[in-house]
Amino acid sequence: MTSTAIEQYVRPASVEEAWAVLVERGAAARPIGGGIDIGLHPTSGLSTLIDLDRLALSYLRDEDGLAIGAGTTFTEILESPHTEKYANGILGEVLQKVASPLQRNLATIGGTLGSAHPWSDVVPALLVLDARLRVYDGQSREISLVEYLTARATGDRPLIIEIRLPVKSRASAGAFEKYSSTGFDVATLNCACYAAIDAGRCQTIRIAVGGTPSLATRCLTAEQSPIGARLDDQMIETVAGVVAEGIDARDDRRASAAYRRHLAGVGVSRCLKQIVGRLETMT
Amino acid sequence: MMIELTINGERKRLDVNPGEKLLDVLRREGYMGVKTGCGSGDCGACAVLFNGRAVNSCLLLAGKADGADIVTVEGLGGGDALHPIQEAFAAEGAVQCGYCTPGMIIAAYDLLSRNPNPTEEEIRIGLSGNLCRCTGYVKQIAAVKRAASAMANEGGDGND
Repeated sequence: MTSTAIEQYVRPASVEEAWAVLVERGAAARPIGGGIDIGLHPTSGLSTLIDLDRLALSYLRDEDGLAIGAGTTFTEILESPHTEKYANGILGEVLQKVASPLQRNLATIGGTLGSAHPWSDVVPALLVLDARLRVYDGQSREISLVEYLTARATGDRPLIIEIRLPVKSRASAGAFEKYSSTGFDVATLNCACYAAIDAGRCQTIRIAVGGTPSLATRCLTAEQSPIGARLDDQMIETVAGVVAEGIDARDDRRASAAYRRHLAGVGVSRCLKQIVGRLETMT
Repeated sequence: MMIELTINGERKRLDVNPGEKLLDVLRREGYMGVKTGCGSGDCGACAVLFNGRAVNSCLLLAGKADGADIVTVEGLGGGDALHPIQEAFAAEGAVQCGYCTPGMIIAAYDLLSRNPNPTEEEIRIGLSGNLCRCTGYVKQIAAVKRAASAMANEGGDGND
């Protein structure tokens, strides 16, 4: 078994202290949540780990939406009564499909966003929930998840402190679909949808597809046509078709690009039908 | 790096590399009930309780265990006594080669400590991070049911 030889393991008592170590050590340092990635993907040149577990970032608060501390484990999110109440519990639905209970007891929400693996199930779910992140990079600020992921891709990696999910309108629901070769494998493709419907008309819709095999992104073109329209079967098929055509699907050892397009269409169609069904039950 | 932790109720001070896995540390210290399987968090043979929750010790950095409370399968019962979950696994014959058993028992302990009366579906989810290559995932389920009922009858988890 491989492991990473770490020269310095620090557990800062404050966010400022953690950031100072990160700035001083640069690429040789990495902040960790559950630390799973360090074990699974030994990284050359990494000599300092900054364990954030003493920053009291393990919490869920129902305040003006949902606030989740970056150090909260998947299990803690699954077991929180707040999770079930929020967007019909889509976050819980997603986390139940991630890895196993043993890993969910260790993996943190901040850690999974910091790693942002292309197959991440959490990223598409948080994208459609319009997640915002409270981050620290010398100053505390709030940015959207999209802004974080864009900055991350260019090497800019602020510390993730908190994930914030805005208040949802009552007549809204989410759904998530994941396709993988076994129940335990990472996604061959995943997708998440969220919609708000008022007087039978679609007011808001957000769709994200991931594991294409790239990291999830929003399907902005496909989101346009249903606005103001009825989310009936015909509209759902139209949207699913636009998603399938529009995703950045590529071949890899898990699946071909063509199969991924097929899965994206099926997945989005199933998600939207589930959402419509859930909203009918609510009213 | 020196870490201080509790293993099966005993305070320990150990010299580790913070980047190594707790699995390797535990086996080096003689806790052979913790099994090395896949080394990548897939099989669950290395499961231990980390501050009360079952985790893959092959994914847990030794540095993270500083200050932690660790329980291995050796620590579940008291001395030579078996924990009711261990007794139930033996009574149901929920073993063949036995390699996955310690991890299964640790996962079952985590499940039953939060959910003393799980449904079969909940048991299956609770053990879903533990692979067994010999059996058919039937007797382990029966063993967890038996343990739940035994623990309910004695009004505790037998470890208090």
